[in-house]
Amino acid sequence: MILGAITWQALADGLGLGAIYALMAVGIGLVFGVLRLVNFAYGQLIMAGAFALAVAAERGWPRWAGIALCFGVVLTLSFAMERLVFRPLRAHSPAVMLVATFAVAFLLQSIALLWFGPLGKIASSLAELNQPVTIGDVDVRKITIVSIVAAVACLVSLLLLLGRTSIGLHMRAAAMDFQTARMIGVDANRVIGAAVLVSGLLAGVVAVMLTVQTPLVTPDFALRDTIVVLAGVVLGGMNRLLTATLGGFAIGFVSGVLGGALPTDQSQYLPSFLFVAVILVLLVRPGGLFARGRDAAVQRV
Amino acid sequence: MKWATLLGPAALVAAAGLVGSLFERSTEIYFINSLVALCVVVGLYVFVGNSGVLSFGHVSFVAVGAWTAGVLTIPAEEKSALLPSLFPWLAERESGNVVSLLAAAGVGAAFAAVVGLPLMRLSGLAAGIATFAVLEITHNVLRYYEKIGPGTTAFSSVPETTGLVQATIGGLVAVVVAYAYQRSRFGRQLRATRDDPAAARAVGISVYRQRLWAFALSGAVAGFAGGLYVHLLPLTTEEVYLNLTFITLAMLVIGGLTSLWGAVVGALAVGGLDSFLAEAENGVGAFGRTLDLPAGSRIVVVGALMALVLIVRPSGLTGGRELRLWRTG
Amino acid sequence: MPEPALELRDLSVRYGAVEAVRGLSLVAERGEVVGLIGPNGAGKSSTLHAIMGVVRAAGGEILVNGASVRGRRPEAVARRGIALVPEGRRIFADLTVEENLRLGLAGRASREGVDDDLTWIYSLFPVVQEFRKRTAGALSGGQQQQLAIARALVARPDVLLLDEPSLGLAPTIVDAVFEALAAIRERGVTALLVEQRAQRTVAFADRTYLIANGELRLTLTPEQADDTSTMVAAYLS
Repeated sequence: MILGAITWQALADGLGLGAIYALMAVGIGLVFGVLRLVNFAYGQLIMAGAFALAVAAERGWPRWAGIALCFGVVLTLSFAMERLVFRPLRAHSPAVMLVATFAVAFLLQSIALLWFGPLGKIASSLAELNQPVTIGDVDVRKITIVSIVAAVACLVSLLLLLGRTSIGLHMRAAAMDFQTARMIGVDANRVIGAAVLVSGLLAGVVAVMLTVQTPLVTPDFALRDTIVVLAGVVLGGMNRLLTATLGGFAIGFVSGVLGGALPTDQSQYLPSFLFVAVILVLLVRPGGLFARGRDAAVQRV
Repeated sequence: MKWATLLGPAALVAAAGLVGSLFERSTEIYFINSLVALCVVVGLYVFVGNSGVLSFGHVSFVAVGAWTAGVLTIPAEEKSALLPSLFPWLAERESGNVVSLLAAAGVGAAFAAVVGLPLMRLSGLAAGIATFAVLEITHNVLRYYEKIGPGTTAFSSVPETTGLVQATIGGLVAVVVAYAYQRSRFGRQLRATRDDPAAARAVGISVYRQRLWAFALSGAVAGFAGGLYVHLLPLTTEEVYLNLTFITLAMLVIGGLTSLWGAVVGALAVGGLDSFLAEAENGVGAFGRTLDLPAGSRIVVVGALMALVLIVRPSGLTGGRELRLWRTG
Repeated sequence: MPEPALELRDLSVRYGAVEAVRGLSLVAERGEVVGLIGPNGAGKSSTLHAIMGVVRAAGGEILVNGASVRGRRPEAVARRGIALVPEGRRIFADLTVEENLRLGLAGRASREGVDDDLTWIYSLFPVVQEFRKRTAGALSGGQQQQLAIARALVARPDVLLLDEPSLGLAPTIVDAVFEALAAIRERGVTALLVEQRAQRTVAFADRTYLIANGELRLTLTPEQADDTSTMVAAYLS
């Protein structure tokens, strides 16, 4: 029944959303790998970037300036977060770090509410990408193609960074065993800084792409998406970047496809099914669905 | 006898109630709000403070309790009009105030027990994420399942029985329950698992079972708080979701995660601050100057305060310790 | 007289209320291999961790070539010329052997002479060169131990710290490890060797310190390697 409703259109939407969610998953996964910290405030970074785009559009700035402002704001916030919140808390328990990022998420959202009000602003910089392009007999929005291409480009660059450069090697080692890496001479601050930088760049890219699809930027922009991506990361497997990214992509893909395919009254309870799946995975296969045998059983207590 | 541990929080609660009664309704409402929030925070503390395990999902017990008490106390003749899709056995029933609060606590406890059965095996990050998932699920279900509640619309026609007296008594009840638990063998065993899990296991304490007891009890207190809430405001699902989760967690962290005194101090201090800031948003005279804050700044202040406390003094204002008087033991 | 490569003065290490090391003083001159033996829980690993900056020294001094490294972060200590071969090897199982070696470069002061050093390291541990492209996790225990030492040597350290390198290894592999240590000593690298195998260490090292219960009990020379009764008495004191 469902399969009949899946059109090429829906598949394209799924790929586009999956691409964006994959990038968000990488952003969250990189910082988690190195700091063992789930940055609940990642969505707010994207929101800040989106507001930057909106403000630039409002003032009639040229497109490149808006995008530059977006990246500037996101990177500044990312580093501020690392310096002011993550670093002092590095020695504390994961529970305290979790609460702290939750607090930061709320803080940023309420600052945005204060500054911009609940109605939000419009970021219309790349609106023409919403126009469809006809491939064969399917209408695909340009933004979908751009998202996929951008995501692939980012992921390939990331693979090269991690696999071929020494900072990339240091990041991988730090994610596996930070203490030993430090004892060998890997600079903790540099590695963390690199992870935060890349994570921030990805947040900027996502902000640009999401504002095309959703030009209205409100203080809770990307909140829903972040929660869904977090669920995807847990489902895929938090402990490795590859499985986390796959999880993010998968959940984006499924959401995108089902978003069009399911009728409203059936899709209402979709979040519940999603989160039940998250709980099941945490209980039964905490390493994630995509993890190989050895990684699937992670120490829990 | 560690009476100060009970007397301190209880006295503070009673004082809040007394001071609140000196004001007129428009200000009194802040005190009532703070006292009900205090019940939620104490409920949260019963589990988090004693077990050392984080829970982001307690507001789902508040929600469930609120829904129970709300649906039970709407007058029967109005129910058919307001909540047409309600289950018949709920639609026919109408209960009194106290019964609804007890039912709220009971349903909160039952829900927490069911949720806790699988979840109490988890710790740390996994527990945090799993309990967050419970919050999401509860929010999603209550929002759309109109057979058990108003769904997307707000509760209405619920008797507004939570005035200052009910809120204060509710606060005292929560404090007494929390105190009784932490002094009991169950509470002490659970705290042993928090402080030294290996040693506790070696002595034969079942971490899982102690956590489950605490979780269910905290669900009862949280559900009870939900009952108080629904008798205070016309609640929607949004009011028992992320905002409340954040503010009650902030209250507990700022006060001090690991003590009852911390829970009470945090709730009343932050509640007081929040109320003062709410007034400031309407323009208030203080210290000889007028303060006029833009709307929405209060949650920014609370958020910043919470982040600051976590960074500078993670054990909270009270240092996570109970109140001790110098002379008594 | 030049500064000793490594000197500990009155070192104390505390974990909360427990004092793991108390008033420990020892010296390793340039080019010496100095042993550190003692029963389990004597504080041997804690000493190495304190030198490395992984755990804070509660008191005393840690001097490398005369300069203090006390209170520095682990990566800063590593870059001061100290390399640790950790207990249990702690190689990165999911990385290749080559990547593990490349990681060792992080502790190196300058890139000069890397190729020469690698040639020497490969001559010490041919298996490391042979399995360059393999995942490190696929190596046997003894091979991983060789990799761990090789990785430390890549940093061209002034002082090599070894935490129980023979632990869990078959006798022939242990022999190979000690042979490599002899070659390392010949090269002029100073080493602090923490070991459970008391006799072998005392016979091999230029000087061996025996600690028990966090305190220095005895200093032994190679001639005393067969004096087991003295050693046992010190262990049990």
